[in-house]
Amino acid sequence: MKRTLVSGLGLAFICACVFFVLSIPDPLQADALPTHSANLENGELIFWAGGCASCHAAPGATEDDLLRLSGGVELATPFGVFKSPNISPDPNAGIGDWTTLDFVNAMVKGLSPDMDHYYPAFPYPHYQNITYADLIDLKAYLDTLPLSSNEVADHELDFPYSFRRGVSLWKWRYLDRNRSQPVKDATAQLERGRYLVTGPGHCGACHTPRDAYGGEQVERFLAGAESFEVAPDSAGEGGGRIPNITPHKDGIGDWSESDIAYSLESGFDPDFDSFGGSMVEVQENMARLPAADRAAIAAYLKSIPPQPSDLP
Amino acid sequence: MKKKLLVTLATVALGATTFVTFAQEEYPYQNQIEARQALMNVYRFNLGLLGAMAKGEMPYDAGMASDAANNLFAASSMRNGAMWPAGSDMSAPGLADMTAAKPEIWSNMSDVGEKSRALRAAAEAMSAAAGDGLDALRSNMGAVGDGCKGCHESFRASD
Repeated sequence: MKRTLVSGLGLAFICACVFFVLSIPDPLQADALPTHSANLENGELIFWAGGCASCHAAPGATEDDLLRLSGGVELATPFGVFKSPNISPDPNAGIGDWTTLDFVNAMVKGLSPDMDHYYPAFPYPHYQNITYADLIDLKAYLDTLPLSSNEVADHELDFPYSFRRGVSLWKWRYLDRNRSQPVKDATAQLERGRYLVTGPGHCGACHTPRDAYGGEQVERFLAGAESFEVAPDSAGEGGGRIPNITPHKDGIGDWSESDIAYSLESGFDPDFDSFGGSMVEVQENMARLPAADRAAIAAYLKSIPPQPSDLP
Repeated sequence: MKKKLLVTLATVALGATTFVTFAQEEYPYQNQIEARQALMNVYRFNLGLLGAMAKGEMPYDAGMASDAANNLFAASSMRNGAMWPAGSDMSAPGLADMTAAKPEIWSNMSDVGEKSRALRAAAEAMSAAAGDGLDALRSNMGAVGDGCKGCHESFRASD
């Protein structure tokens, strides 16, 4: 009996030590960043490709209001309600006092300037694929946007998800699997498409199915998913089914490259049904990219492994 | 024994009621849901003609463009409230695969009305312009698309 107790305590102690070590933040240091003078025009392109405004501008914002990144958009999930932060350049309510290194650590490591772990509702598992040069450009562009003094309340999460340090375990388990590698011998267009889809565009955040802990099942890349969002006012009824966008007959296998590019430009699918739900905002962001980028996304989506929507 | 008979009778009666209620419909609100989806198809078909010309997949034909745009305007002018009974949404039992209409429609009727008026205005502008050349047609496609997306963004589930 006494021996059981001692070994139980010992095991708990070892677990605590392992957890402690795993949860130590591992930020980038300043010398990791390249010397790069910021290009605002490219920063703006990454801003639209990343869909920043869809979560960080006020709900329902259009036109110029999309540039006021006051935060406060709520994302209801099985873990609780996440609230997007104010990322306007306001030094108090927003991120105006962040250094470029702080910003890059947030985007690729999911770490705040105070070394807290961000929840992956913020899609840094995808943003870690953005180049440092593009992130430097994006930060410079964000610095030019209007200030907002809006203070956003904390997330409302259920235990144990409310325990922020636990996010380190999630990162340990899932962060690497979202890392995207250049494809050998790919054309420049396919490479650009891969970069936009797996990096700033973070298409997989909605279109790849997730497991019970919210990690993406990357072997089912873009195969479509039940929406992870829970509509709070309709008794567990979710946001519907997110479509399969692989070149499979269950997906968009019968769309041509120009159909895909046109749909991102206009919001119409090849049958002239319009996009709906949250894809409307995504499409309107994509419509602001150069046509060559939409063509690159289309070419890449036609090149990925086809997946059935449901596994047998 | 008597109790067992009663239970059997009750079960049969319940079954019969269910049968009577759904005899004409394979799922609740089938008539209304099919009618509104047919109306959506009318939009889609006519937009497809305009879109094919806009994309250069079909040669521009002023008469055909004008007809399609007028049909679009006519469809958007229909009073179709009867096709949208409250409760005929995707959260209702048995309807998850039949409709993507969100329950929020019925708690935001003034917004729905405003958005359908915006679509009608865009369709009216298109019907006035579509016969005036390809550029006029093209420059009105965006507004019509915004009209469709206006409702679909808020009131249709993703898919």
